[in-house]
Amino acid sequence: MFKNHLKIAWRNLKRNPLLSLINILGLSTGMASAFLIYFWVSDEIMVDKFHVNEPNLYQVMMKSEENGMIRTLDGTQGPLSEAMEKDLPEVEHAITVMDLEKEGMGITFKSEENLFKAGGLFASKTFFDAFTFPLVRGTASQVLKDKDAVVISESFAVKLFGSVENAMNRKMDYNVFGNEQSAKITGVFKNVPSNSTLQFNFVATKQKLLEDMWTNGQVWTNTGPSTYVLLKPNVDIAAFNSKIERFIDKYDEFNTFSLFTRKFSDAYLKGNYENGVQSGGRITYAKLFSFVALLVLLIACINFMNLSTARVSRRFKEIGIKKTVGSTKRNLIIQFLTESIFITFISLLLAIVMVMLLIPVFNYITGKEFGIHLIFQHLSILLLATLLTGFISGSYPAFYLSSFSPLATLKGKLQSKGSELFARKGLVVFQFMASLVLIISVLIINDQVDFALTKPIGYQKKNMIHFDLEWKAYENAPLLFDEIEKIDGVESAGGISESLIREDGGSSTYGLEWPGKAENLEIDFVLRRVDESLIRTLNIEMVEGDAFTQELGSPESYLVLNEEAINLMGLTDPIGKKIQLWGEDKTILGVMKNFHTASVMQPISPVVFRYAPKNLDLAMVRIQRGTEVKTVERIKQVYTDYNPGFNFNFAFQDQSVNAQYLNEQRILSLSRYFAFLAIFISCLGLFGLAAFNTELRTKEIGIRKVLGSSSLEILKLLSSDFMKLIVLSIALAIPIAWYAMNDWLLQFAYKITIGWWVFAVSGILAIVIAMITISFQAIKAARANPVKSLRTE
Amino acid sequence: MITMLLQLNNIFKWVNSGGQRIFLLKDLSLKVEEGEFISVMGPSGSGKSTLLNVIGMLDNFDEGEYDFLHESVHTLKEKHLATLYKQYIGFVFQAYHLIDELTVYENLEMPLLYKKISGSERKALVADMLDRFNIVGKQKLFPTQLSGGQQQLVGVARALITSPKLILADEPTGNLNSKQGEEIMEIFKQLNDEGVTIIQATHSEKNAAYGSRIINLLDGRMV
Repeated sequence: MFKNHLKIAWRNLKRNPLLSLINILGLSTGMASAFLIYFWVSDEIMVDKFHVNEPNLYQVMMKSEENGMIRTLDGTQGPLSEAMEKDLPEVEHAITVMDLEKEGMGITFKSEENLFKAGGLFASKTFFDAFTFPLVRGTASQVLKDKDAVVISESFAVKLFGSVENAMNRKMDYNVFGNEQSAKITGVFKNVPSNSTLQFNFVATKQKLLEDMWTNGQVWTNTGPSTYVLLKPNVDIAAFNSKIERFIDKYDEFNTFSLFTRKFSDAYLKGNYENGVQSGGRITYAKLFSFVALLVLLIACINFMNLSTARVSRRFKEIGIKKTVGSTKRNLIIQFLTESIFITFISLLLAIVMVMLLIPVFNYITGKEFGIHLIFQHLSILLLATLLTGFISGSYPAFYLSSFSPLATLKGKLQSKGSELFARKGLVVFQFMASLVLIISVLIINDQVDFALTKPIGYQKKNMIHFDLEWKAYENAPLLFDEIEKIDGVESAGGISESLIREDGGSSTYGLEWPGKAENLEIDFVLRRVDESLIRTLNIEMVEGDAFTQELGSPESYLVLNEEAINLMGLTDPIGKKIQLWGEDKTILGVMKNFHTASVMQPISPVVFRYAPKNLDLAMVRIQRGTEVKTVERIKQVYTDYNPGFNFNFAFQDQSVNAQYLNEQRILSLSRYFAFLAIFISCLGLFGLAAFNTELRTKEIGIRKVLGSSSLEILKLLSSDFMKLIVLSIALAIPIAWYAMNDWLLQFAYKITIGWWVFAVSGILAIVIAMITISFQAIKAARANPVKSLRTE
Repeated sequence: MITMLLQLNNIFKWVNSGGQRIFLLKDLSLKVEEGEFISVMGPSGSGKSTLLNVIGMLDNFDEGEYDFLHESVHTLKEKHLATLYKQYIGFVFQAYHLIDELTVYENLEMPLLYKKISGSERKALVADMLDRFNIVGKQKLFPTQLSGGQQQLVGVARALITSPKLILADEPTGNLNSKQGEEIMEIFKQLNDEGVTIIQATHSEKNAAYGSRIINLLDGRMV
């Protein structure tokens, strides 16, 4: 019996190659996109889940209330972990982790004559006990025992010493904040997997950091490193959270922080906090794209239903005969389900081929590193999904077809009931509405990303390069800048403590006092140290006053602020006003026009520049247009004179600025693909319904033509019905898309206004595409010889 | 010994059209004994097909009683009916009604599949039929590759393969030329001689003559 079902299914496929192709193509496209999104989402969900202790690993977070808003911080106090481990019996291990690279401070390693920059962590002794980063050399509980110990990754060991064996017990010199340090390699760990949020090439000790490099980190009033706790099994986390809320009071009675914990593995997907409440993060996009993928798959299933029911009259005879020779309704339902599952499995094969072809593109868009092996790894899920897809898409045709009485089907007397046609039209409206919502969204996201890429940032970003000042270049920055400025093609060079492009604004301070400052008013100012040429180099426009110059005598006693800072401070006539920074008297020297220190979609922050030409980490160089390649080559030469053997890593400022919108750009390209797929599959469906409708009306068309109707009139007759559906779906899609996109845009302080043209363009696009699709069938029907269609009666 | 196969008592069937009741079958009573060969005659629209469909349980009726092998058809549920006709009745249609996607062999095999007959037995039964109707050489062809007469031969073979007690044939020769039609009628006569009860609807006096009894219908009544 089963074999018989498959045979009929296969021969049916062969009999209507075009419709079969459309059917399979639609289903496999839908399945392929659903699979890719499934891979992506399951990968996102697995980030940080590989730690054996994952169920009991938490990060300690801090909340503080400032000006009525609750700020959430992940930077904690240096002594916090030891205090927690000592005072709280629930805590198995508490670990301090400091990632200097994340704070914008590079670490340079020296091995014989070679210098390497590398990112790494300074961590508590129990780091390797709590987290699962397997060691290939050394024991977890021992490797970080000595203050001068360092554990490095396999690839770093090979890079520095040629092999893992050679690396053990070797001495290694490195440079942080301009201080030279040395360490002994006590262990080697397997390279950190890409699905870990902690990314590092080495782990040195917290003791070293706090005693030799960052002594300020030992006090309770400074924050910075992350603190993680591994709790004992079966600790009630809610009770633990309320217990630690005022934990710091014991050590620092004036603190404003309350502590709470967050699941370690939640940081990646649910990292955002809004006014102290967890408010999503990447999980939003994971959910959004899961939804979109299911939507596309559903659209493909709807196609299948429409196309199978469209072909129903061809199957009437078969159904009738089977019923008269004794088939029950159940037999037929099973037959049609078998058939649809059979077709979905053929589609699965095509979908797998599509996935294989699309993986490189998909990796490029999402920034993942998926391989084809994922297909086999998730094969059981894929098979299950295929079975389910086949079942869903086959269910409607199966129950619909099997319910006919045998006599009616044999006589071909069957008339479609109004309700069935209505259901099928409803499906088409749904398909087009969903596709249109996607298209409109893509146009709006595109607009917003364009806006972000082209909005003036407030300083010059074109023809501007930046590079880190390392080692000797760091120590001799003023000399280096002099030499660089002598190069033909360099317009200006300046130094700054850290990049102006930082997601959270970077270094900031509350320590500013000014006359007339309201009590309890706390403003977080973005703070940078600069040299005298930075403002000029960046072409920042001065609204009032002057930039730093040597002629001032002691430029250290002046500050330059931006308009937003002056505005928030409520100062009128600011030039020359005396204010205090950290208790020291300063004079306002100048006011800069506002510029962006984070994404251009975020609000402008108040900025304070202070003069400190030493210990600057970043160089900015403005280059004459058209001479970039040659000039950068010269700068590289000068730089490597200072740091022989160094890799000169530079980047263009405009590219670094645009890199901030990577997330939005990824969403944009993913959405583009999905919108295209949705409209493509929907058109296949419309094609099916048009075919069905034409078939139903063959006799009517024949009679009309015999009575003298022209082909054009027939074409109009057949199209107008569908056009009504398309117009209806446009009308439904516009408010939905508008609402959703308005919501999406709300997160940006600077955003586009949604123009009416977006709706007009997508509406016209839908109508044109639909028109072309329908015309295929309509023209065929309109031009057919009426004698033929009438004779079939 | 004569056994009663089926009995219709005062059967009425009607449709309502524009407030009027149009009778398709009107007060029709009929007794059929096993081994009879009945020809139903009458002009178009006289109710021949309707009568066959009612007897074959493909169509229901509005009034009256119908006993088939002492089972009251009018009281049975659809599922039970299906088992009943699956076991005892074979159909032959004017338009042959073979499944185009299946070969001759597979078409013959299909009713056996629904009776859940084992594979080896199916093979034997199909081989018997192919042999009996001299179509062994055609078993791998599809219906569209056969002439009308050959298709109807397959149709008859398919009706016979479950060894039914009753064969219902609705204008079995209507789409055939006279020579092909004669062949089919000869086969029916032969089957009847072997004890199969046959009821056929026909327009042709010549074909009707093969039957042992002729029933004439006009506007749903027996005349």
